[in-house]
Amino acid sequence: MAMLIRKLKSIAALSDEQRQAIERLPVRTHVLAARQDIVRDGDKPAHCCLILDGWICRYKLLGDGKRQIFSFHIRGDVPDLQSLHVPTMDHSLATMTKATVAFIPHESLHELTLRHPDLGTLFWRETLIDAAIFREWMAGMGRRSAFEHVAHLFCELYLKLQAVGLAENYRCRLPIAQTDLADALGLTPVHVNRVLQEMRGRALITLQAHTLVIEAWEELVRIAQFEPTYLNLERRAAA
Amino acid sequence: MTIRLQPVQVATGSSDTESRLVFSDGVLVAVLVRLSDIHGDRAGMWFLEAGFGPVRHPDPPTFADLDKAQIWVEWQLESRR
Repeated sequence: MAMLIRKLKSIAALSDEQRQAIERLPVRTHVLAARQDIVRDGDKPAHCCLILDGWICRYKLLGDGKRQIFSFHIRGDVPDLQSLHVPTMDHSLATMTKATVAFIPHESLHELTLRHPDLGTLFWRETLIDAAIFREWMAGMGRRSAFEHVAHLFCELYLKLQAVGLAENYRCRLPIAQTDLADALGLTPVHVNRVLQEMRGRALITLQAHTLVIEAWEELVRIAQFEPTYLNLERRAAA
Repeated sequence: MTIRLQPVQVATGSSDTESRLVFSDGVLVAVLVRLSDIHGDRAGMWFLEAGFGPVRHPDPPTFADLDKAQIWVEWQLESRR
């Protein structure tokens, strides 16, 4: 449970007692293949899914096979935390890469939050930060240009990966296909490809073999009008 | 309905410039752009750069060739009359 503790510690201080209570949670660990559904739209799961390794996304299928990806998740995230209080899934959760996850029974999480209300508050805070990220995606989808939108997503992903030790020196693994990026950004793969080519041409990034290198961070931040406050990573930066 | 394609260059901000204006009975209904070599497997295909009225689409499709693109445009116009 070190991954969950690290994540929670990144948004608030944890007491030894709280940390031990998390460590005692009964979990089942699973290794999943890439592109495998974990929970589907309409399911009523009895557990939440903590990511230990790999990339996971939340998505919804629309008519004609169209898909909207709502969010990308990495280790330490519990992307279906809402199922603890909202029983029926209104979207699906799937692996994007091979992934290792730990399933935590709802019953145990309920008990944990009753015994340690401060942890309940922390989980609540986590879902609020999640909602803040959704608001930024909504602003991007509705009001940012394709170029600004991609730039914003790269800034966001880089800081999230850096916070869990998966990125440094403006370099990170980004195992997301262009079609997945398009489904997340509400753009066509054609537009995503044009934007990536232009970003390369302007020496802002390189993206090869699923490795993203941000060559000009300040410039990318300026283009995206990226203001990282919504990610609430201050504690991580200070830690 | 008479469809007419007119070759034109479009400034897409990329190397995709070869294009066709698509007119239906003399009225502009779509702009198709040929995908350049930057698009890998999709190079040479035709992309709905812009559609107007019934041809407007939230998730613009890509077509293997101009014939298929034209059939799709005609179908959009017919089905939404």
